[in-house]
Amino acid sequence: MPSASDTVTPATAATQRRSGGAAIVLKLAGVVVLAAAVLSFPSIAANPFILSVGVVIMSYAVLATGWNFMGGFTGYMSLGHAAYAGLGGYATGLLILEVDMNPWVALALGGLITAAIAVPIGIASLRVRGASFVIVSIAFVLILLLVFQSWASFTGGSNGLRVPRPWGPEVLRPEQHERFFYLFTALLAVALLVWWLIDRSRFGIGLKAIREDEDKAQALGVPTFGYKLVAFVLSAFVTALGGGLYALWFGYLDPVFQFSILGGAYMVLMSLLGGVRSLFGPLLGAVIVGYAVEFFKAEYGDSQFHLTATGLLLAVVVLFMPDGILPAAAGLVKRFRPQSSSIREVTAAELAEQRRAAQGGDQSAGGTHRRVTEGARS
Amino acid sequence: MSLLLQSIVLGLLLGGLYALLAAGLTLYFGVMRVVMIAHSAFLILAAYLAWYFNTETGLDPLLSLVITVPLFFLVGVGMQRLLISRLRPATLTMMSVLLTFAIALVIEGLLGYIWSGSQRRIRLPYGGSDIEILGANIAVVKLIAFGLAAASLVALFLLLTKTRFGQALRATIQHPEAAELLGINTDRVAGYGFGLGLATAAIGGTALSLDATIYPSLHWHWIGPLMAIIVVGGLGSIPGAAIAAMVLGLSQSLLQIELGTTWAQTCFYLALFLTLMVRPQGFFGGRLAQRF
Repeated sequence: MPSASDTVTPATAATQRRSGGAAIVLKLAGVVVLAAAVLSFPSIAANPFILSVGVVIMSYAVLATGWNFMGGFTGYMSLGHAAYAGLGGYATGLLILEVDMNPWVALALGGLITAAIAVPIGIASLRVRGASFVIVSIAFVLILLLVFQSWASFTGGSNGLRVPRPWGPEVLRPEQHERFFYLFTALLAVALLVWWLIDRSRFGIGLKAIREDEDKAQALGVPTFGYKLVAFVLSAFVTALGGGLYALWFGYLDPVFQFSILGGAYMVLMSLLGGVRSLFGPLLGAVIVGYAVEFFKAEYGDSQFHLTATGLLLAVVVLFMPDGILPAAAGLVKRFRPQSSSIREVTAAELAEQRRAAQGGDQSAGGTHRRVTEGARS
Repeated sequence: MSLLLQSIVLGLLLGGLYALLAAGLTLYFGVMRVVMIAHSAFLILAAYLAWYFNTETGLDPLLSLVITVPLFFLVGVGMQRLLISRLRPATLTMMSVLLTFAIALVIEGLLGYIWSGSQRRIRLPYGGSDIEILGANIAVVKLIAFGLAAASLVALFLLLTKTRFGQALRATIQHPEAAELLGINTDRVAGYGFGLGLATAAIGGTALSLDATIYPSLHWHWIGPLMAIIVVGGLGSIPGAAIAAMVLGLSQSLLQIELGTTWAQTCFYLALFLTLMVRPQGFFGGRLAQRF
């Protein structure tokens, strides 16, 4: 049965290889430009406030990318991922304060502790799918809020927790912001690299099979539970590192903000808006949402109206672009790009061959034929 | 002894309110596979409306039901028609969580914007009076709230079991395709189901407004326990939701004696995690319940 791949001539293969190579070069160039833009931001930023907004946005980008290890690959949407950022932050802060640990060791250990906590949580919550999973994720963040508010002797309770700065007083605020901007960027780069590697691995394919149809994936021999659990714990680990670094930067933790469903919702909103299936989707979403949230807060900070603005933004994304901006933009680019299959690439002999197959009464071959001729016409 | 008895009575009264609200959540899930995070935001909205009518016109909160119940029903039907039905069927449940979460944020923001974040409380002429039941002192307003919730729950149950509409709605819950084949307009039924769900939020909110201090972010305190109740009872099962609500309401009230108000709330989450480990589909849910 002739299919699209059978009718590729050496000439078209070469064109495809060439365009594939061009695409890689283009992508690499894009990444380099992006990296250059991000790295030069601190020197362009007009004042420390703008720089601090940049740090906030980068921290959001780390959290959204961390979320995307679970949400993007497996389709399990956690609304309670703020729990892991909060745990990472508190673990880092408490290790420094109670054990007098080096801040950077505390950050790493805080991430590991959170990952360890995520194991039993994952085992319990990954037994259910869809809505029940979301409900459990919300329940987890609410219970942590309760614990961290009530256990005041250990966590500081509602008074919050002051986390000492990692550098002495001789490092001034703007320089502090700059250093943390680069630290967040480095963490983001590592997270993106790991995401990219998983995306291309057998493990990643298994996770995406779970996203498309978990029952079939299981029937095909994907160890679904183990895969989900690993993705879940990894996601919690990256998110916790983001939360821990935030604690070191901001220097103050309040349970109401650390363990809020709103924080988790921001991660979902950023990832969905940018596109959960693409590497840079959450990063793009973080830039847009991070800026929007900071703007709403500055504009409507006194009232609760920034919640309404965030809610409307989320509703628009869910209703009109559930696949995100990047796929929508890619679709738009494709529409205006010259078609890759031109009329010359289907020879008369191939057409005759396809027609013969179509006349054979085979429906799928007929479909191929129709598609090819339509492609040739456009 | 009297403290224990008092806690038991209070727990049952609270459980009645939980049961009504969880029944609403079950309705949305049953007819549409929608998880309605905004349910408790509408609950607080109804409480605010009751408070507003009371302070502006002196209207008794129970009478404000005449306005809020039909209003909420229509809002529910409109919400289902205009928003929920636009979501893709394949990802309906997941996306409904995010969409209704967004609606909850919009409502919370508007409440804070219009009436500020400060705490509000209705002052009723009969607000301070107590009544003695089996040796326990119970506030009259709590009894009225329970009576309202229980009466609505009974009415809802009769509506679902005794009327043609109820039959159509249950058929839609059990097997949407078969219901469609039998000539039931499942879209319309889903809309009415959504309206009914919001009507329960209106009643619950009014009951709540009688003796609670309300503020915009209060809905987060309700959504966790309510969600836990419907998962424990089994997503989609109204009797399951009602029984889980009574049991957990009672547990919360009893735990309060030993642990205090804050820690007592953990019983919902504990029950949720234990249920997932033992019976992921909930105690009255079918096998399907863990898929959505």
